[in-house]
Amino acid sequence: MRYMRATTDRSRRGSDIRYALHLLRGNPIVLAGTIISIASLIVGLLSGLIVDPNSWKHIDLNLRLCWNNLAIDWHIRNVFVCSGNSYPLGTDAFGRDLLKMMILAIPLDVQIALEVVASAVVIGIAVGGFAAYAGGKIDEVILRVTDVFLSIPSILLAIVLLVIVGRSLTVLTFAVLVTWWPTYVRLVRSQVLSEKEKPYVETLRVLGAGGSRILFGHVIPNSIYPVLVQATMDIGSVILTIAALTFIGFAPSPLIPELGNLANQGIRYFFTAPWLIVFPGLTIFIISLGFNLLGDGVRDIFDPRLRR
Amino acid sequence: MTFVLLAISLIIFYLTRAVLPPTTAAAPYITPRMNDDMKLNVAVSLGLATPSCPSWEAFSTSRAGCVMPVWGQYVGWLRNVLQGNWGYTLLPGISGTETTWYVFASRFPYTAELAIAGALLTIIIGIPLGIISATHNNKWPDHVSRIISIGGYSMPTFWVGLLLQLLFVLYIRINGLGLLPSNGVLDASCAICVANPGQISMFTGVPILDSLLSGNLPYSWDAMIALFLPTVTLALTSIGALTRIVRSSMMEVLRQDYILLARSKGLRERVVIYRHALKNALLPAMTISGLIVASLLGGVVVIELIFSLPGVGNAALVASQVLDLNFLELYVLVTAAIIVIVNLIVDLAYAKLDPRIRY
Amino acid sequence: MNQLPTKTADPEEVLRIRELTVTFHTYAGDVKALDGVELSLHKREILGVVGESGCGKSVTALTITGLLPPNAEIVCGEALLNDVNLLKMKSSEMRLARLKDIAIVFQDPMTYMNPVMTIGSQITEILIENPEVFREVVVTSRLQEIDQLEKSGLISHKLQQERSHLKQVLSHGNLSKSKFRRLGQLYVLSYLRMVRLPEPERVLKMYPFELSGGMRQRAVIAMALIRKPKLLLADEITTALDVTVQAQILQLLMQLREQIDSSVVLITHDLAVVAEVCDRVAVMYAGNVVEVAEVNELFQNPLHPYTQGLLASIPRPDSAAVELKSIEGSVPDLISPPSGCRFHPRCRRAMDRCSASKPRPFETQPGHLVSCFLYGE
Repeated sequence: MRYMRATTDRSRRGSDIRYALHLLRGNPIVLAGTIISIASLIVGLLSGLIVDPNSWKHIDLNLRLCWNNLAIDWHIRNVFVCSGNSYPLGTDAFGRDLLKMMILAIPLDVQIALEVVASAVVIGIAVGGFAAYAGGKIDEVILRVTDVFLSIPSILLAIVLLVIVGRSLTVLTFAVLVTWWPTYVRLVRSQVLSEKEKPYVETLRVLGAGGSRILFGHVIPNSIYPVLVQATMDIGSVILTIAALTFIGFAPSPLIPELGNLANQGIRYFFTAPWLIVFPGLTIFIISLGFNLLGDGVRDIFDPRLRR
Repeated sequence: MTFVLLAISLIIFYLTRAVLPPTTAAAPYITPRMNDDMKLNVAVSLGLATPSCPSWEAFSTSRAGCVMPVWGQYVGWLRNVLQGNWGYTLLPGISGTETTWYVFASRFPYTAELAIAGALLTIIIGIPLGIISATHNNKWPDHVSRIISIGGYSMPTFWVGLLLQLLFVLYIRINGLGLLPSNGVLDASCAICVANPGQISMFTGVPILDSLLSGNLPYSWDAMIALFLPTVTLALTSIGALTRIVRSSMMEVLRQDYILLARSKGLRERVVIYRHALKNALLPAMTISGLIVASLLGGVVVIELIFSLPGVGNAALVASQVLDLNFLELYVLVTAAIIVIVNLIVDLAYAKLDPRIRY
Repeated sequence: MNQLPTKTADPEEVLRIRELTVTFHTYAGDVKALDGVELSLHKREILGVVGESGCGKSVTALTITGLLPPNAEIVCGEALLNDVNLLKMKSSEMRLARLKDIAIVFQDPMTYMNPVMTIGSQITEILIENPEVFREVVVTSRLQEIDQLEKSGLISHKLQQERSHLKQVLSHGNLSKSKFRRLGQLYVLSYLRMVRLPEPERVLKMYPFELSGGMRQRAVIAMALIRKPKLLLADEITTALDVTVQAQILQLLMQLREQIDSSVVLITHDLAVVAEVCDRVAVMYAGNVVEVAEVNELFQNPLHPYTQGLLASIPRPDSAAVELKSIEGSVPDLISPPSGCRFHPRCRRAMDRCSASKPRPFETQPGHLVSCFLYGE
């Protein structure tokens, strides 16, 4: 038996896009965020072409911690001036060009962030949707489990896992994922719970649609907007968390080109080579800012309560 | 509440004892001077090795039948903990190896001082910023406030902290000394610090409070100056979340019909906002207090590292490097307990403040 | 050719709205909500404003109280309250006008009351926030109360003392804050009694969700009357109530009419309410006033085709017809409204000129105005 899809029809989607463009026009900040996020993605995709992907393995201790970009004067005594090539952002503790390392680092961070967020969203939808629909004891148990995870700050939980299981990029990704999925389970669950009460669900049930069809075909697509908002902003937050973890020292190896890892070298040489902290940190900030602004804008577009 | 704490303790315990080599748990109790038999005795007395284990070597390679089952270890650990015995830690206390509880408790006030100062600053700045953003929606105060809050939210904690140090310690100098100290601890080498502030007596362990209680005002000045940059760093990254929710909550409230009625009664706009709108807007904002506390307690770790504060976060990082399980377990559980308690308080307060939620 | 007087020659006229045009700027386009509304209100009369949803009745009310949302633009027009143009007031003046001169009661008291404040505090705050304005009124009212008590023989030494103290306050003017608060409460209580709320002392301490719909609406009406406004706007105040409660509220309005000095604009879509309570009626369609008349005259002799359609579509229990009559077509899109007379696409008697230009109000008989080319320019 065919029935009408009880979700957005095309005219609403069309007006969504119109509304989105209207908002973008009036909101230069969100526009900036969109541009930055797209730019980071592009840099991430193309980084292998700009910089030799293996250059992070080449160490030259003669060139360590030097600076020869005349545009910035750090006002530090005894800044070591590099010989040879120009290094716009100086070199790191292993003598590698910091700018190149940062370019290599961007796709790594963005990739891990996308993996974490995508997995968290999927888990959130599966577990959260299931919990909301099943109700009763199962729901209660799942809720308690998320309570447990949400009672530990994400960095701590990740640290514990990294300590126990060991340091590798996979464990790093997994550790961050473990701290992130409860938020999505809760979010999806509360959305589904409120959607479930809406009249169209009962209509669908009367028309003969089965439970999972209602759940996955209608309820979840209608609940997806806040999840999208959260996911976009979380890309930025995950990048921050990963950087913080590697900064503390949980990177698999000090050589790996990762933004927090590069900054980690800077702790020791902070007052003699501040560029090691300043520039990787700046990059993390810009990328995270881009995704956060984008998420904020997405929220303004999709939040029905803030609509005109 | 207890369920959460028990669950966390169980998970952490199981992971640490089951995954890591069994000798890790015995490490704080073993000195290099012990021979293998003595080490084995220690392991048995701790309930880690079975009495029938032949040798220390067998124990450390987890030969079958040598290591006590983890569940049994957990029960023993739980019994100890409920009596207040958290074992010994590898971290240095005042004099060599001390009990985990003692080391933790002596360092905790520093972390608490930082966390509370950060929380206060976050609230003082975050809430007004959110209100301004909502009442001047899409005009320049809103844009500025959004930049500040989203910007702060996007900044890596270590970057902000170290940049501030660069600025105030290295670059802004008076008479050859940085404007602010580079440490969170009393390091009287800064331009506006008092050079020899004297002594104070210990009441709470929190430097600012103790110095005030001891009547040593120069000392408290120094302590506050030293805490300034870490607090600003901590607050900067937390303000974003609070402002964002106050803003959206306030905007939703301002759309409500009763705000229209309040205006139509001829009330001044200020009254409408602060008496009618704010109370309704802050109620949902309170629900994320738990999350904010969690992010504060997480941020404290990095800040203690870069400002060399002698708090528990810093200690936890060292503990994670030397695999000091006792300390880590205590640390995680205390942190979780704080978050759970805060959530509980918020729930109770919410029920009290919203008259619709009664009985 | 009859023309409307350009100045308020009529001393009885309290409110005069002229050529009011309001547009809302939305992302979907400009909504031309009001298109030259003409309306007048006389002293102590109850004027009904009827029309379908979306015809601009509420927008008119919000415009004259200065409560339009930020995306609304008053393109032109004026709203004269006793010869003062409300639309040109500064926001501080407008606030005072809302306090003393214009009161508006809305449709659903549940959403229009602050859920976390007691009824009492929501009403007394009007007084407490503006002590200079209400001081005299509050004191005078209490003096009257004491006089009443004396007449019924319930006077006591304490009350006599209070009376002389209050008389002093009236002449010298120094009332302590706490005393003012207490007098304010008594004043509010007198109004709660006036709107026939049972157990007014208890109601003061209750929260909105603890009252029934009818009681809430009475409380909101008290909130409006307490300011002794010149103009009382009632925007669909009975729509959210069930029929019996509706009847009670209307009855209350009729009873209050003798006691209060305000002129009332009763906005509704329900012609039955209008027939029951109002002196005059204005019919609105798509942002225009199409017909104004005394209530009996309108029901007996409707002139505008829209009014005729409205009256014809009321189901009659005594008629033999099986089908319900309705006005064909649908309400126009206000972003691109019809040219000329906005009703012409649905009008059976439309002429060519109806789409070319807009008809202006024409007085066929004294007090009966129609905006339709069938009757005049």
